[in-house]
Amino acid sequence: MSGRARGLVWLSSLLVIAGTIALIVVAIVVDKDHPLSTLSPVGRQGRDIAELINPIFIVAGVVFFLVQGAVLALWWRYRVAGSETGDGEYGYYDDDEFPDQTHGNNRLEIAWTIVPTVLLAVISVFTLVALFALDDVKASDEDITVTVIGQQWWWEYQYHLDGDTDTPPDFVTANELVIPVGVDVALDIKSRDVIHSFWIPKLNGKRDAVPGRSHDWVIQSEEPGRFRGQCTEFCGLSHGYMKMVAVALPTAEFHQWKNNQMTPAEAPAEGTPEGEGWATFSQQCASCHVVNGLTSAANRGGAADSPPDDWDIYGEHNGGSAGPVLTTELVAGAAPNLTHLMTRGTFAGSAFDLYLNAGDHIPYLELADSGTLNRGELEAWIYNAPQRKPADADDLRGMPARTGLSPDDIDDVVAFLSTLD
Amino acid sequence: MTITDRTITAPEETLALPAGPAIAHRPLGIFTRPQGSEGWRSWLFTVDHKRIGIMYGAAALFFFLVGGAEALFIRLQLATPNGSVIGAGTYNGVFTMHGVTMVFLVIMPMAAAFANYLLPLQVGARDVAFPRLNAFSFWCFLAGGLLLTSSILVGGWFQNAPDGGWFAYAPNTGLLFSPSKGIDFYAVGLQILGIASLVSAINLIVTVLNMRTPGMSFFRMPVLTWMLLITQFLLLFALPVITVALFLLMFDRLWDANFFNVEAGADPLLWQHLFWIFGHPEVYILILPAFGIVSEIIPTFSRKPLFGYHFMVASGIAIGFMGWGVWAHHMFTSGVGPLSVAAFSVSTMFIAVPTGVKILNWLATMYRGRLRFTTPMLYAVGVVSMFTIGGLSGVTHAIAPSDTQQTDTYYIVAHFHYVIFGGALLGLFGGFYYWWPKAFGYKLSEAWGKASFWVMLIGFNFTFGPMHILGLQGMSRRIATYRADEGFALWNMVATIGAFVIAVGVAMFFWNVYVSTRNWRRAGRPDVGPDPWDARGLEWMTASPVPEHNFDEDIQVDRLDHFWHRKYGKDESGRVVRAAPTSEIAHDGSNTNVHLPSPSYWPIVLGGGILLVGYGIIYNLWLAAAGLVFLIGAIYGWILEPADDPDAAGHHDDHHDDDDGGDHGDPDSNGGPNGESASAETEEEATVG
Repeated sequence: MSGRARGLVWLSSLLVIAGTIALIVVAIVVDKDHPLSTLSPVGRQGRDIAELINPIFIVAGVVFFLVQGAVLALWWRYRVAGSETGDGEYGYYDDDEFPDQTHGNNRLEIAWTIVPTVLLAVISVFTLVALFALDDVKASDEDITVTVIGQQWWWEYQYHLDGDTDTPPDFVTANELVIPVGVDVALDIKSRDVIHSFWIPKLNGKRDAVPGRSHDWVIQSEEPGRFRGQCTEFCGLSHGYMKMVAVALPTAEFHQWKNNQMTPAEAPAEGTPEGEGWATFSQQCASCHVVNGLTSAANRGGAADSPPDDWDIYGEHNGGSAGPVLTTELVAGAAPNLTHLMTRGTFAGSAFDLYLNAGDHIPYLELADSGTLNRGELEAWIYNAPQRKPADADDLRGMPARTGLSPDDIDDVVAFLSTLD
Repeated sequence: MTITDRTITAPEETLALPAGPAIAHRPLGIFTRPQGSEGWRSWLFTVDHKRIGIMYGAAALFFFLVGGAEALFIRLQLATPNGSVIGAGTYNGVFTMHGVTMVFLVIMPMAAAFANYLLPLQVGARDVAFPRLNAFSFWCFLAGGLLLTSSILVGGWFQNAPDGGWFAYAPNTGLLFSPSKGIDFYAVGLQILGIASLVSAINLIVTVLNMRTPGMSFFRMPVLTWMLLITQFLLLFALPVITVALFLLMFDRLWDANFFNVEAGADPLLWQHLFWIFGHPEVYILILPAFGIVSEIIPTFSRKPLFGYHFMVASGIAIGFMGWGVWAHHMFTSGVGPLSVAAFSVSTMFIAVPTGVKILNWLATMYRGRLRFTTPMLYAVGVVSMFTIGGLSGVTHAIAPSDTQQTDTYYIVAHFHYVIFGGALLGLFGGFYYWWPKAFGYKLSEAWGKASFWVMLIGFNFTFGPMHILGLQGMSRRIATYRADEGFALWNMVATIGAFVIAVGVAMFFWNVYVSTRNWRRAGRPDVGPDPWDARGLEWMTASPVPEHNFDEDIQVDRLDHFWHRKYGKDESGRVVRAAPTSEIAHDGSNTNVHLPSPSYWPIVLGGGILLVGYGIIYNLWLAAAGLVFLIGAIYGWILEPADDPDAAGHHDDHHDDDDGGDHGDPDSNGGPNGESASAETEEEATVG
């Protein structure tokens, strides 16, 4: 290849590299439409993490360019033309010219051992400070503690408004974790079956939900908004469909929401489609799903006067028994509490939108009034859930299909569910 | 120095028992040994480290195609939102098998290929210390690999493939949550592979420690030998840990034990600790051989000795030790407590130091060199460049708080592919191009090699580069699909296109092998010569392909890069000048009077017995019992077969029949009457002479 052609090859490859880097930088900086992005945090903890890591990204970027630049410079400067076949006496070299046979330089070696060590020591100081600060989970200002329970393949939230996780929760909801803006909400993360991981990237890093263990975590949002999450520990068949949402509401709206959540549902009038739907629901769905005020423990094969929720999943507060007593029944029989289903924006482990036009814009409390119900998806889900979201319903993991229901039955069930706001 | 006056096996002789007193030692025909080195059967019974190395390489390339096909299915499924190319269940099997295949059936055996082929050559030995055990390692590896891979097909397409991820976290791998046979295949298959690697590790450690040619002191060993030795020590200590974990898992699933049963009070973090105490040293098991290969290639094509040899060795040893103190960085979000997180965060950061030392020494080797960018050099420099990216992203998630954002996202997928593909695999491919003429007697085409490299490198960066962005944008690992409104579509499509570009690059490699072989045969199989690259190590000091006996005579090594210093000296002005032509220094393979270990039937039979036991444990214990009988029979055959070949009647009596290696390597006879000869042949001379 002539010198000119070589130059062109070099120039064009440099342009390609520079263009690619520019493209990547643009892609990262313009971080719109990425609801799970870690690059534009909204929560205090998320911002603390970003403040820690962003300078380190810059340091790493500098090292990256130094090393890659060195590789290219050495290539450019010291490459030699030689034999193309390598058949000569000197292999691929045309001549017997040798550079200085340098074997090493101890000072240099010590220098490039010590310099990175010092650099990393500095970084590790910042890391440790941030680490212990983030781990310092205190009771929140409003003393709300939410027990977050992962199970295949959705999330349950048990709200302890007084922060006392030793007593039954004030109310139970699923998949959409609603918090007041600006308040550190303590989380107590547990699992009913396998290991899951609770992660709302815009608010904080993730924390695993490990069966038999309770992990403290905290989330906070500086602004109102809906923030997507995704289970990030592989948890079996439908792991990819196990999502969640955190909703940060201004304090007044949060209290309004909270008061609504504590209101039990009312039975629809008999003879109406809603009433027919409730009848079907109580036979087909209430053995797993709870609707406060309507279903009872008897629906789930227990004593009629037992508490409505199997909230104490590790059996820590039953007295008597020591240690976790996770049972197969608990692993299998749990399903989202549907008392206020219509106040959530998503269903089925946040895999599907409950409203068609909700976006992130409709005020959360008005969803049930302003949103258009995503009726097709909801009906398809009730009819054959495993087809919409893979599940192993034979082993009671995931919602079983209800293909025995007629379209009218399903219309009625949806009508009943629509009353749960 | 003539060692023996006997010729090795003569093809026309039969397996019939020789007459005479030797009969007493050979009660049955099966206790003779196979003969000959021609034909496909000789490969089944070979104990030659070079053939075993080639078989490791071939098997690894086969599994590479399997694992690569799985990767393409992953990328097809993820190319668009709400992908439906393969369902979630199949997807879980595919990504699990992709990981398991690439780690245990591709990178590890590829490294084993180089270790088997090159370690004895680089230390100037005749073979490994225990040739039959070496053959057994390969067959045992193949048994484990086939057992694992068969899980894809058994009982339907991906119906019984492992579906718990390569890390197989409890309790998701329990019977309740993974009811198919997949995790059983995983647990049994990896235990079999563990046996293979463990046996091989012991064999290679003994080889390096005991069978170096005279003068080959530790600090005259090539860096590749060092890195492979460190790798074997890591295997030796890491594999028992994973074996314990797999054993417990197997008992949980097959015989209702409760090691990981949370209902019975188990803590699932036990599995994580056991897995990662193995799993992190495993990372260095994967990468160190490639570091060694790069350290061989760069000096050759810079025409300079490796810069800072002692620091390169020391940093390898440092990585080997530090690799044991960082495992919990895989568990920063598992709830191990802030103090553990802090300790492992800091230890993980500092493991970057010895790795950085290696990168800088490679650059310093190139500095003021005369660089020839042949295909192997392209791959080696590719490792320097790509591994640096993986190392830097590694530092960013050593920062534990930031790891809580990054772990289990595509950022991690990007990171470890830059380490394992951009580091280990590129290095191993460079090794293929570099040592191909040594093993087969002809070079692979440079034109196809360079084209293949660039296609692979570009495809690689388009596949895994965007994954950094995807991870930081919040895309989790191991999800079978994603929603359209999560904003992951663009870079996933780019990554999928990149994956198919890699596939083209890999296809070009195989095409290169085909074309180069064909052209070489058409050209009348010209001799490439012992030293086609003008290289430095002892392996280039013998004919290509390496004759069965490796070296015609023992080499007295007097310094590092002994071979190079035999070729080149310095004149009065300090200028490097040719001291002697390679043809005068290198051995031509003409000494066929060297006594070599005989082939053996038993390693492959033993491997087959293990395969039967494996399937038996999964499906039917009676089958396992039958396999056990097979296995014990094979061990008896192994013990009872004569240590010598049958045509050497009368000579075998004074062999040590109870010597587990069989044929040579008795350390007591080192420094025997031969002066120079302290390695393989010494005992043989005592025997024969």
